[in-house]
Amino acid sequence: MRILLVEDDVEAAGYLVKGLTESGHVIEHAEDGEIGLQLAVANAYDSMIIDRMLPKRDGLSLIEELRRMGNMTPVLILSALDDVDERVTGLKAGGDDYLTKPYQLSELIARLQALTRRAQTGVQGTVLNVGDLTLDLIRHKVTRSGQNINLQPREFRLLEYLMQHTGQVVTRSMLLENVWDYHFDPQTNVIDVQISRLRGKIDKDFDSPLLHTVRGAGYKLQEAASTVETG
Amino acid sequence: MNSLVDEGARPRDVTLARTGAKVAGDPVDPVTGNAAARAIGEPAAPASAPAADGTGKALPRRFRQAHGRRLFRTSAFRLSLIYATLFSALSAATLGFIYWSTRDQIESQVDARLRLETDYLINLFKSGAMPELLEAIQRRNQIDTYGRFYYLGNSESAAGEQVAEDLPIRLKSVRSHTTRNMGDVADLPPGSARAFNPVRVAETQLSNGLKLTIGHEISDEKALLDHTFALVVGATLLTLLFSLIGGLTIGTSVLRRIDSVSRTASEIMSGDLSQRLKVTERDDEFDEIAAKLNQMLGRIEDLIRSMRQVTNNVAHDLRSPLTRLRNRLEVTLLEERDPQNYRAVMGEAIEDADSLIHTFNAMLSIARLEAGLDATQWEAAHIGELAQEVAELYGAVAEVEGLRFEADIAVDPLYHCNRHLIAQALTNLLDNAIKYTRAEDGLVALSVRGDDEAFSIVVGDNGPGIPEHERERVFQRFVRLENERNSPGNGLGLSLVQAVVRLHGAQLELTDNAPGLCVTMRFARKR
Repeated sequence: MRILLVEDDVEAAGYLVKGLTESGHVIEHAEDGEIGLQLAVANAYDSMIIDRMLPKRDGLSLIEELRRMGNMTPVLILSALDDVDERVTGLKAGGDDYLTKPYQLSELIARLQALTRRAQTGVQGTVLNVGDLTLDLIRHKVTRSGQNINLQPREFRLLEYLMQHTGQVVTRSMLLENVWDYHFDPQTNVIDVQISRLRGKIDKDFDSPLLHTVRGAGYKLQEAASTVETG
Repeated sequence: MNSLVDEGARPRDVTLARTGAKVAGDPVDPVTGNAAARAIGEPAAPASAPAADGTGKALPRRFRQAHGRRLFRTSAFRLSLIYATLFSALSAATLGFIYWSTRDQIESQVDARLRLETDYLINLFKSGAMPELLEAIQRRNQIDTYGRFYYLGNSESAAGEQVAEDLPIRLKSVRSHTTRNMGDVADLPPGSARAFNPVRVAETQLSNGLKLTIGHEISDEKALLDHTFALVVGATLLTLLFSLIGGLTIGTSVLRRIDSVSRTASEIMSGDLSQRLKVTERDDEFDEIAAKLNQMLGRIEDLIRSMRQVTNNVAHDLRSPLTRLRNRLEVTLLEERDPQNYRAVMGEAIEDADSLIHTFNAMLSIARLEAGLDATQWEAAHIGELAQEVAELYGAVAEVEGLRFEADIAVDPLYHCNRHLIAQALTNLLDNAIKYTRAEDGLVALSVRGDDEAFSIVVGDNGPGIPEHERERVFQRFVRLENERNSPGNGLGLSLVQAVVRLHGAQLELTDNAPGLCVTMRFARKR
């Protein structure tokens, strides 16, 4: 993935460039909003990471300008402001996701991948398939190998989200935000319990597991078990 | 070398010489006996004395000047000055009016008398009795009791002059009904004391070319008027003076009150927050302000005390994990270790950092909520639905932990709130309940009761509970009871719940669940 990073904290940017490069991405760094805008206009990126507060041109205004120019590259906003309202403002300006500092590198990578994938696949079909697992959004029905699987409404949405991000790492906070709309971390790891319940329903009675735990990062729904990454 | 030593020694000698002279009053210096030192010391001593006196006097004078300037700047003084000026002007105008009308009155009385006399004499003239007229005039002139003078003169012929010769006082021809000095209108012997006496004059032309002039000396009336005028001026000046003194007095007393307030304020600013302004028994506007300021100071003192408490707690709760983190890394670096070891230590370091971030975020949220800085748009939320969602999440967790979980959510009140915060408060309570309930037959229960008007969310457990005397304390930030020191958590959970509940104007209650703890959040629809 070719990524543009616009971040004025040089040291933080250095770690991020190192981390993203080591996980196989090509990353370019701009130190202020103006340089960021020039780079974004001149090159084609798969995604952009833009800090909210930047010298010369504010992160939000940079995103707005890009969107106005018709640049639809997915943007992940980084910010030290963690209010729910700040999130809403950031997303309204044209950001696709919002991550509060300090963050885990694995969290950032997972979110970037989710963004890029969403941008590539565009509109989803009404039936999702992963291996022999099928989820019908219209009929609200889940089957595996032709067998009906009964899911609670919330479990259905959890599985739907995982299937929409097949092959990608999905973090606990991504699930909390997107499935439960909780923008805080409960102390007890409620997500782990929900995942293990879901696993009990979709994997337990079948030979090959689909729902995998990615250590130190989150979960991944994938057909083959052999390609599990480590965070 | 020698000269250097001498130079260096001089100032000390001077001091000694001066001290010796002053303290002992001894003309011969017993300590040094140094001629050079004496020579410098002697003229220096008397020179310093007046200088010291000068500053001693100058300070209070300067102070008094400053005080005076401040006094003149006070609004009380300014207002009383304006008042004094207006009041003096008004009284001067009133008295002046009285003065002028008195003068008018006196003049018209004199004129009336003059007219009466003129009419009488003209009637005599008209009846043709010229000798009687002359006789009457002569007689009147001789009496001169009322300060009246008569003159019959001829403006054109010499006949008039003859008549006039018989008169003791000759009056000059003047315009009628005017007031003149005697000396100007009458032939008086030189140096006469009456020369400057005022006289009122009436002049009438008689048909045979003769002219009748009557003068009326008005010294008494003039004296009365002058006296009145002096009274008017005096009264005006006195009014002005008393108003000024009043203004100064009021200004000074206001200044004294203000000074006491500002002195106390300075002491408070310099750090002594326990100081309070003096409130007198007069209960006037100053006391009102002082009482209000005292209330404000009390509030500020409370805030600062709680802030101090918080910073102490923060320092404690962030410093210990930071120290732990630092020590862990430092000890690891002391000697070469195998990569596996580094990896493990760094993993632990990241965990430490995460827990720090968690604590920090919780502190920030609480601070923001307590300051009422919740910018999120509030909206009506279905509380039952929200509780049901949380119940699903925690029911599963409880099951994994081997606890029974009971949810009794029979109602679904619609409530105007920040649903994220309500959910967070509820998860905090359930986190706690599950964390502390470790009994064999452990039970955690969540219920929502009531209606749209008033409802309560109750989280109960049958864990160890909280002893009654500790229940107030657990709301304080970072408070963790003795038996939970070693369990995970930052001690901010209940503080956050309380902040959320307060923000929504609701109530939080901890009660005994016999056994265990029962936490009730009581909400009521806002009016």
